[in-house]
Amino acid sequence: MKSLEQVHEELNVWGFPHHPWEFTVGNTVVQLNPKTLVMTWVVMLLLIIFTLAATRNMDLRRPTKLQLMLEELFLFLRGLVYENIDPHKGAGLMALIFSLFTFLLFSNLWGLVPTMMSPTADKNTTLGLAIMVFILVQFLGIRYKGLGYFKHFVEPFFFFLPLKIVEELAKPVTLAFRLYGNIYAGEVLIAVLLGLIGLNSYVFGGFIPSVIWLAFSIFVGFIQAFIFTMLTIAYISHAVQEHHEH
Amino acid sequence: MESLGINYTLIAQVINFIILLIFLRVVVYPRLVNVLEQRQKYIADNVAAAEEERKKAEELKQEYLAELARAREQAQAILQQATKDAEAKAQEIVEAAKAEAQRIKESAIEEIAREREKAVAELHNQVANLSVLVAQKIIGRALTPEIHHDLIKEFIDEARGLPC
Repeated sequence: MKSLEQVHEELNVWGFPHHPWEFTVGNTVVQLNPKTLVMTWVVMLLLIIFTLAATRNMDLRRPTKLQLMLEELFLFLRGLVYENIDPHKGAGLMALIFSLFTFLLFSNLWGLVPTMMSPTADKNTTLGLAIMVFILVQFLGIRYKGLGYFKHFVEPFFFFLPLKIVEELAKPVTLAFRLYGNIYAGEVLIAVLLGLIGLNSYVFGGFIPSVIWLAFSIFVGFIQAFIFTMLTIAYISHAVQEHHEH
Repeated sequence: MESLGINYTLIAQVINFIILLIFLRVVVYPRLVNVLEQRQKYIADNVAAAEEERKKAEELKQEYLAELARAREQAQAILQQATKDAEAKAQEIVEAAKAEAQRIKESAIEEIAREREKAVAELHNQVANLSVLVAQKIIGRALTPEIHHDLIKEFIDEARGLPC
């Protein structure tokens, strides 16, 4: 039985360094994770190729399968947005929601390809996206409600303020680590199964757990991308909706 | 932060995502929205056209129904007229036949009367001649034309008095 490090080492056929790239700008040391970045670019490229292929030669009457897939996905997301956010406010968010979902979906699934890694299996990606969403929510709240947006921090009583601040800050953190945990755990388990079951037993059905886990990971990838997107919609909806009862 | 594994990759990833977002927003999104809008418009147009067609068909149907009713009415009227005409014609024919029969009957009666008169006249003549012959035989002499004439006349008058 091999250790996890050994399996990772064996899977590292592309020769990614184990330590972050380091370079100094001014007097700050900038560290970047090479594998995450490269995988992100690959995923971006795949997503661009996919969407371009799907939207090339779009036909009204005889849509191609790719076109239909993308259209259905878009309509599904639009349905979610319009259910939760006033369409006047939500229409402008559609590009973001669509990009977010497709990017997360492709990222989550990309890690299932052998020797590849999900960009979302890195805390930096998920936290970055979560903080972006957090800032967007605050921005939209202020934009649509003005300073009245901050009123909800002190409602119904003023001494709820610390609690409310914690609640607000917990949102991006949970958003980031839910996604990261699920995807990272999925990749770890893939490696663990590879290390746990020797090559010899693979011939005699040792591949079955791996196959089951990969199938489940596809499901998890969809679900996590959906949850992240859905929660983003919910947070925005919460921030921009009018409170008629007050 | 570094012990948590969080470094500048975070910022790089946000930038990556924003680049992707801009690309999708500029290139893919308009096409997608465009085709969806077109489809929506196409369907709406089709539905409107179908509605229009349906309305037209309904109108046409009403028109045809009215036409049919009118035609039926006309046919009824024509039939009635024809029946009436036929009855009148039959009546006329019957009348004509009756009149004809009457005429034939009358003419037959007339004929009979004429024949009778003719027969009577002939009978008179023959009776006269016979009378003359009988008289000649009886008297045995020829009468003078005057006496002859008087005798005949007398005889005829008597004979006319006879019932035939």
